[in-house]
Amino acid sequence: MEKHNIKQIIDNYINDMKRAVRHPLLEKNIGEVKLAHLKAFFLLLPKLNGEKWVASTHTAAIAVGAVHTAFDAHDRIDERDATSTTQQLTVLSGDYYSGIHYRLLASLPDFEFIRTLSKTIGEINETKADFHNQAPSGLEQLIDAVRTIEANCITSFLHTFGFSQYAPLAAAALPLISLDAELLTCEGRPDNVGNYWTTDESDTSQAIEEFRKELQHALDDADFLQPFLVKEIRQMTTPLLGELI
Amino acid sequence: MGKLQALSLYADFRKDLNYIEKELERSVDSASPIIRQASLQLLHAGGKRIRPIFVLLASEFGPHSLEDITKVAVSLELVHMASLVHDDVIDNSDMRRGLETVKAKWDNRIAMYAGDYIFSRALHSIGEIELPAVHQLLAKTMLEICEGEIIQIEHQRVANQTIRDYLRRIKRKTALLLSSSCELGALASGADATNVRKLSRFGYFAGMSFQITDDILDITSTDKELGKPAGSDLLNGHLTLPILYVKDDPEFLPYMERAFAQTLTETERSAMLSYICNSGAIEKAEAVSDLYLQKALKEISGLPDSKAKKAFRQIAAFIGQRKY
Repeated sequence: MEKHNIKQIIDNYINDMKRAVRHPLLEKNIGEVKLAHLKAFFLLLPKLNGEKWVASTHTAAIAVGAVHTAFDAHDRIDERDATSTTQQLTVLSGDYYSGIHYRLLASLPDFEFIRTLSKTIGEINETKADFHNQAPSGLEQLIDAVRTIEANCITSFLHTFGFSQYAPLAAAALPLISLDAELLTCEGRPDNVGNYWTTDESDTSQAIEEFRKELQHALDDADFLQPFLVKEIRQMTTPLLGELI
Repeated sequence: MGKLQALSLYADFRKDLNYIEKELERSVDSASPIIRQASLQLLHAGGKRIRPIFVLLASEFGPHSLEDITKVAVSLELVHMASLVHDDVIDNSDMRRGLETVKAKWDNRIAMYAGDYIFSRALHSIGEIELPAVHQLLAKTMLEICEGEIIQIEHQRVANQTIRDYLRRIKRKTALLLSSSCELGALASGADATNVRKLSRFGYFAGMSFQITDDILDITSTDKELGKPAGSDLLNGHLTLPILYVKDDPEFLPYMERAFAQTLTETERSAMLSYICNSGAIEKAEAVSDLYLQKALKEISGLPDSKAKKAFRQIAAFIGQRKY
């Protein structure tokens, strides 16, 4: 598979996801939904690697995408004032996308994944609330929190659909890339404060190192992964190597 | 649980309701201190638990298992609770049922996470029920509720609304979840299709009446009784049935404009509420509420006689007479 094929598969998936969550009034007021190519890449990694990917797997993957768009919407809510029409509709858009994820899973119906994913969504929100209230104290807490928030929906999907061998790659790469981006934001600002992971910079650097080592191990063990995908992951997790996919 | 508790249905179903209440509490026993505190605060703030009651009573028309029914009941109450937490962010409400809201005690972001957490627990609870129809109905209901809220935002501070617009909105906002509570309770219990349909329609009509009564009480009750400022609906730009009956009165118009512009003084708010109460709008709205109640009663009249049917009648009477 060539790089442009990867892009096409990811773009098709993102378009399917956008179609599933599309709501004219929300789109008119708050714009089109976005899902990071990076998240889609790790969600679709088994498919990109040639694994069997049936229609129900695709529907479940779209449900996971919808969950991520719901998270993104609710992360955009202002801490103090959400009274503008845009903010009010952003609150509701998150609820709507979340409802779409449930409708998709109910249509299959996949009871096991409804239970697994809802448990993961609960844990992610617990982590976000604790993190928002107080930054993690120490490296271990930071690593757990970032991994939970960035990767757990996708790893839940991979485990449930028989793609567990791919989970360590997503579990290391997604938090690594998020923290890397945060550190770059920090460095560009005089107050050294990033956008999201507002925590101690040295902890962030150490966590990046830990995730980098973990990813290296995961890649070393990933002899099932086609070389072009290994290369792709190495590129996206190496700072300044260029655009993601 | 409010004064609903005084009804005799609580004697007949007390044990089951207490079990559901315990499971509700257990379902939000979060590992996160902040989420646990926020969820329990909401739970302990009371509420009428009308959704779990509807689930429980509707399940009496089939050969149900209390364990399964509890999962459905817990799920519906959690869906309702989650929507309240997010509604408070949208409406910028600091008080609910006389207590600080989650957004006021912490902030909007915590309220978003708490609402999402509670919603996830709702799905986890009902996820144990492996009946496709149950999930398809709940998913459809949740999306309709959302759609109703989106339309409510679109209609916010828009004066030229019709009664039909209002009825459509409250159908989605309240009646559908009550209708689904009955239908899901009946479906999960294995009730026959005719009774499922009657129960669903009962929930719908009772829900319409319940919301109209709620909207009347927002005007006729005191701040203390409501646990928030009376007239909050209009202050938030929402035109409810009593307001729709009075909105075209030239004397009322300045109040509405000032309420929309959020420049209404306390004295003016009080005068505005008195104006509505003396305009005949409340009586007209009560008549519509009563009409829905009669339809609800008609639906259950065809159900087999039972303690649950008697309890549904009591609830309908309670909805018609409630003052809180």
